[in-house]
Amino acid sequence: MAAALEIVRPSPAEADRPAIEVGHLTKAFYDSEGDRVTVAVSDVSFSVASGEFVCIVGPSGCGKTTVLRILADLEQKLSGTVKLHSATPPAMVFQETSVLPWLTVSENIAFPLSLKGVSGAEQEKRVRDLLALTGLTDFARARPHQLSGGMKQRVSVARALVDDRDILLMDEPFGSLDEQTRLVLQQELLRIWETTGKTVVFITHSVDEALTLADRVLVMSPRPGTLVADLEVPFERPRDVVEMRRDKRFWDLTYKVWRLLASPARA
Amino acid sequence: MSAVPVTLTEDELRRLKAPARRERLFRLASYFSPLLLLLLWELSSQLNLSDRRFFPAPSAIAQTAWRMVLSFELFDHIGATLRRVGVGYAMGAVPGIVMGLILGLSRPVRRVLGPIFSALYPVPKIAILPLILLVFGVGDASKFVVIAIGVFFLMLYNTMSGVMQTPQIYMDVAKNAGATRLQTFRRIAFPAALPSIFTGLKLAAGSSYIIIAAAEFLGARSGIGFFIWASWQTFAVSRMFVGIVVISAMGYLTILALEALERRFVPWAKH
Repeated sequence: MAAALEIVRPSPAEADRPAIEVGHLTKAFYDSEGDRVTVAVSDVSFSVASGEFVCIVGPSGCGKTTVLRILADLEQKLSGTVKLHSATPPAMVFQETSVLPWLTVSENIAFPLSLKGVSGAEQEKRVRDLLALTGLTDFARARPHQLSGGMKQRVSVARALVDDRDILLMDEPFGSLDEQTRLVLQQELLRIWETTGKTVVFITHSVDEALTLADRVLVMSPRPGTLVADLEVPFERPRDVVEMRRDKRFWDLTYKVWRLLASPARA
Repeated sequence: MSAVPVTLTEDELRRLKAPARRERLFRLASYFSPLLLLLLWELSSQLNLSDRRFFPAPSAIAQTAWRMVLSFELFDHIGATLRRVGVGYAMGAVPGIVMGLILGLSRPVRRVLGPIFSALYPVPKIAILPLILLVFGVGDASKFVVIAIGVFFLMLYNTMSGVMQTPQIYMDVAKNAGATRLQTFRRIAFPAALPSIFTGLKLAAGSSYIIIAAAEFLGARSGIGFFIWASWQTFAVSRMFVGIVVISAMGYLTILALEALERRFVPWAKH
């Protein structure tokens, strides 16, 4: 892994440096059978402040997941720079079901800790806290195939939080859930974020979801994915995901993002 | 997950539990369905539809079997065969699973060693028995080896395909959680391949008994295979059938035991 990410440990002097700095990031895929090159992400630059909640919104296939996978070191970049100023590698919440079917809910949540040889008692304590935080206490001993889609995503979120990493990367974690469940989980995620102060990069194709959650929304164009806008979301915290829909600014911003997505060239 | 807070009527409860009850019934039936075949055989023999010199009735075979049980004559043979199958099976299964995991996880290793295994796999194990007897002698060692070879390949291919079918997402989860290569091997690849490993174990158990029967025909002084062959040579057809039934039952019970283990260790897979 020669091209692994550069993880810079922060010193006190650099306390107000951004947590994530991405510069001129480009990623392409080569299909040797058809001799075809597909540029997935082209010249993307952005930074995320420590403790900030940033959403990347864009249509399917715009390369937003690729950007996140590069941040998580699950994919190699072609060129550009990616710097994470963090004491720990980022934790990822995946879009598709990622709970391990052979482990119980508790064991799934404890998985990252169990790899690091954390003591059983310590693991149990952390898992108990996270079960409570994500509302899964009654399902601690259940197996994944007994859970609904929403509960499986709760398990994924709990697992990503269990070893308390600084940066949380979320790849459309609520994309496959029904609207009610999604609203509940959005509210819970905001509550968790407000208590933990983590840096979050959250991918979604839903403008509504991006505005509900984020401090800033990055808008991406279709392939090859480039950034077309970087918008501040001015709503005060803590937010109420239902009440904020009464705010006129919410709909003005929604309209603005939709205009950008509909015709990115005019932005 | 706990007690039902709302009361259901007797009838509702009965319907709710019906599928589970049917499942238990099917399991029970699966233990006894082979008996049906025996019943048909008995009838055809009693009604003289088949030649009793070659196909004695199951009841006649059972009488012979009972006499042999009373004289303790079969148990040494069963013991010899079980020992050979048990040791050979373990000798083949453990390296087969380990190699299967390695080949499944590492594309370079698969590319280099894969063709060697593909070339060796189709060689009939009985065809190389003379060679194995030459190298390992006529004792038990040669039986262990010939079974181990047969089991090894089945476990290798089943484990490898199980690992290769592991969804990429589980590998991503492991990497993001900070798993080392060995941890990915033990905590992800192995459990993900377990359903395929059990398929392999069952196939290998069946194939072990085929191989041991043939091997004991040719070069042994004990074991069920030897017993069948010796009975045939003295035209003791009833005794020969007892041998066939015994070795079949051994295979059947082995597979039942493996299925019980599978339900215990792979509770997340459908059976």
